[in-house]
Amino acid sequence: VTTILLSRSTGALARLVAQALSQRADVRLVGTDEATPDAGLFAAHYAPPPDGHALAEVLRAEQVDVVLHVELAGEESPPPPDEQRLQQNVLERMRLLGACAAAGVRRVVLRSSTLVYGAGARNPAFLDEARALVCPPQRGLLRDYVDAELFAADFARTHPDMAVVVLRCAPLVGGGVGSPLVRYLAQPAPLMLAGFNPRVQVVHPADVAEACALAVLGTASGVFNLAAEHPLPLAQAIRLSGRQPVPVPAPLLKTAARLGLSALPGMWELPRAFLRYSCVADTRRARRELGWVPRHSARVCLSAQATDGRIAGVAQVGGARHQEKRLVDEVE
Amino acid sequence: MSEQQTTRTPPRCAATTRSGQHCRNRALPGQPYCRVHSEQAAAAPPPKEDAPAPAAEESVSAEESKEAGAVPAEAGHAEPPPEEHPIEHPTEEPAPLMVVPGALPDSHGAADDVRALAQRVATTANQESTSTGLTGEMAASLLRLVADNLDRMAPPQAQEAVARLNRAQVHMLDYLRPEFWFEVLTVLDYQLTEQVRFVRRRLEGDYATDPYGMDPEMVEMIRPFFHFLYHSWWRVEAEGLEHVPAEGRGMLVANHSGVLPWDGAMIATAVFEQHPVRQGRVVRNLILDWFNSVPFLAPLLTSLGQVGGVPENGQHLLEEDELVCTFPEGARGVSKLFRNRYRLQRFGRGGFVQIALRTGAPLVPVAVVGAEEIYPLLGNVEPLARLFGVPFFPITPAFPWLGPLGAVPLPTRWSITFCPPISTAEYGPEAADDPLTVFMLSEQVRGVLQETIDARLAQRTSIF
Repeated sequence: VTTILLSRSTGALARLVAQALSQRADVRLVGTDEATPDAGLFAAHYAPPPDGHALAEVLRAEQVDVVLHVELAGEESPPPPDEQRLQQNVLERMRLLGACAAAGVRRVVLRSSTLVYGAGARNPAFLDEARALVCPPQRGLLRDYVDAELFAADFARTHPDMAVVVLRCAPLVGGGVGSPLVRYLAQPAPLMLAGFNPRVQVVHPADVAEACALAVLGTASGVFNLAAEHPLPLAQAIRLSGRQPVPVPAPLLKTAARLGLSALPGMWELPRAFLRYSCVADTRRARRELGWVPRHSARVCLSAQATDGRIAGVAQVGGARHQEKRLVDEVE
Repeated sequence: MSEQQTTRTPPRCAATTRSGQHCRNRALPGQPYCRVHSEQAAAAPPPKEDAPAPAAEESVSAEESKEAGAVPAEAGHAEPPPEEHPIEHPTEEPAPLMVVPGALPDSHGAADDVRALAQRVATTANQESTSTGLTGEMAASLLRLVADNLDRMAPPQAQEAVARLNRAQVHMLDYLRPEFWFEVLTVLDYQLTEQVRFVRRRLEGDYATDPYGMDPEMVEMIRPFFHFLYHSWWRVEAEGLEHVPAEGRGMLVANHSGVLPWDGAMIATAVFEQHPVRQGRVVRNLILDWFNSVPFLAPLLTSLGQVGGVPENGQHLLEEDELVCTFPEGARGVSKLFRNRYRLQRFGRGGFVQIALRTGAPLVPVAVVGAEEIYPLLGNVEPLARLFGVPFFPITPAFPWLGPLGAVPLPTRWSITFCPPISTAEYGPEAADDPLTVFMLSEQVRGVLQETIDARLAQRTSIF
């Protein structure tokens, strides 16, 4: 029996992963989160331990073999204020890895994003896992991803007895799970840079959950890109999700961003370079070494978003505002 | 009215000639065929029905041909006996149209057929009285509209339109019958609906792009323009196309010239249109990655199947057995001055050879002659290039003095020579990491290219 600890176990993606894992035989699931999870998924469930030592004790007590961490602040809902986001995305992961080493966990699976490669004119059409990462200059979700990845890579080098798996996921679309791309597509008129139409990739959360299960129970380690079959031009992706893109000249968008109009309707949360250049990952390694086959094509994900988006998208934007307000209240 | 006219000018023969055209002879009185075809029809055994015709009409056609005492011509292109009063016989069988039965009509051929039909309607109309003639001219112009639409439509939709014309329940020269107008207007309506649907489909994002972003509908749309440049503007002569692999991976290595990368477009057109074994193969040009940052040009090039010129892309494409074209001189080639024309520049660091070695793809040197003179480059203003963020700032006799007009290339005469392939498979993929092998192959390709260019230049009598 493999005992798996799923941290932040009640997030939308974590729930899908828990469901995928609970269907396998000889798996014992343990979760940690503030909220209570769906009944029957977890053999044991804990409130988040206050620090790394407490977490290591839980890991030892439950004899955990594999630790899985898939939730990131700023993915499911719009990013919280900088400090809080950094705490959750980078420092919490560092503590998690430290606790795993202390408790002798043999395998850790972390989620990351394909956007860590960055968008640039010199990007090859398909970026592979060997490409060196460059830390983006602006603070934000993307920089957290790169920071956390660089730390994980370093950690894996210094702890050769522990297998560290990093799953770089393309932006999630479908299955009612939120992501920066879903929020961008759910707006009535997503803005594009006039004269540019980069190729974009998406992945269905159910396929990510499947990859997590494969990574947890398999023997492969290292970095894997996950994306649905077939990248699409951004304009086509927007159209497939039931919206019409609005091209805006690049200088205008730049000025708007300088004036702090980041809440302009139709805006994209991540660096604007992604609206100009492609960032498309090569998924051959995940297919070859994990045995992962995505079941949902990009077209299917986006067409589902077209029907989802009209109902759920509005609710999501509303819900996100509510949550943002709550977070601001908390900080104050 | 119609009685007089039909008796005055007997209808044309209903048979289709061997080349798929309508027979232009007049039919014998009381028979559907002319002298030649009625003999052939009598001699030929009753043919198989392979033209698409609904079963109900088939039986009618069989009855009527018995009445007329004639056997249907090949492939069921039977024509009713010429009627004295066509309007009084509503149960006429479907009339033939233009396309060789059985064969899939290609849309351009079909458009020409419809145009020929319109021409015939017009000539018939000219021989008629004023009012009938006017009707005939209107019919002819409607048919011309159908033909023009056929030219613009995508092949599957055009085929459907042709099939509808072929299924028409009326002879296409009988423009005096209401059924003729009904059929033509139905087809026009179909074409219009399809065009609206095309626009709507594009707006809904329902089109196919390949993983590199190539959009086949876009390629089809731009193809006539390249066809014109290739055949009329530069009158390209392509040689040695048999050296280009019809199947599997291959790397074309060409000299680069002419400021803008028209040479890549023409090499691709040559392979696409004139390959002796397999036409329609798409050449993926590895373009300067700087183009990725040019607004409007970047998405256009991507949708036409061009890929950024980084080694990873070349290797990925070759592993997928694509045909890749590289210009190892890069920007050095297109930005060289007019006085240095046809002098090959340095071939980078041999990255193209490394990719070919890793994938075992054969190298096909391609010598382009004529592209050097399309924009005679007098100077390159480097400060301006830096200012605009472009690789070089060209000064030609026409640019920048004439503004956008300066971008019109001179209509020189081109020749493109595809040299025998240089195999790389025997060195093995590990040779890619051996600089000596890489430079040896790189120099070999460069030597072949310079030699071929010099030979073609010596043969050339005029640049126009």
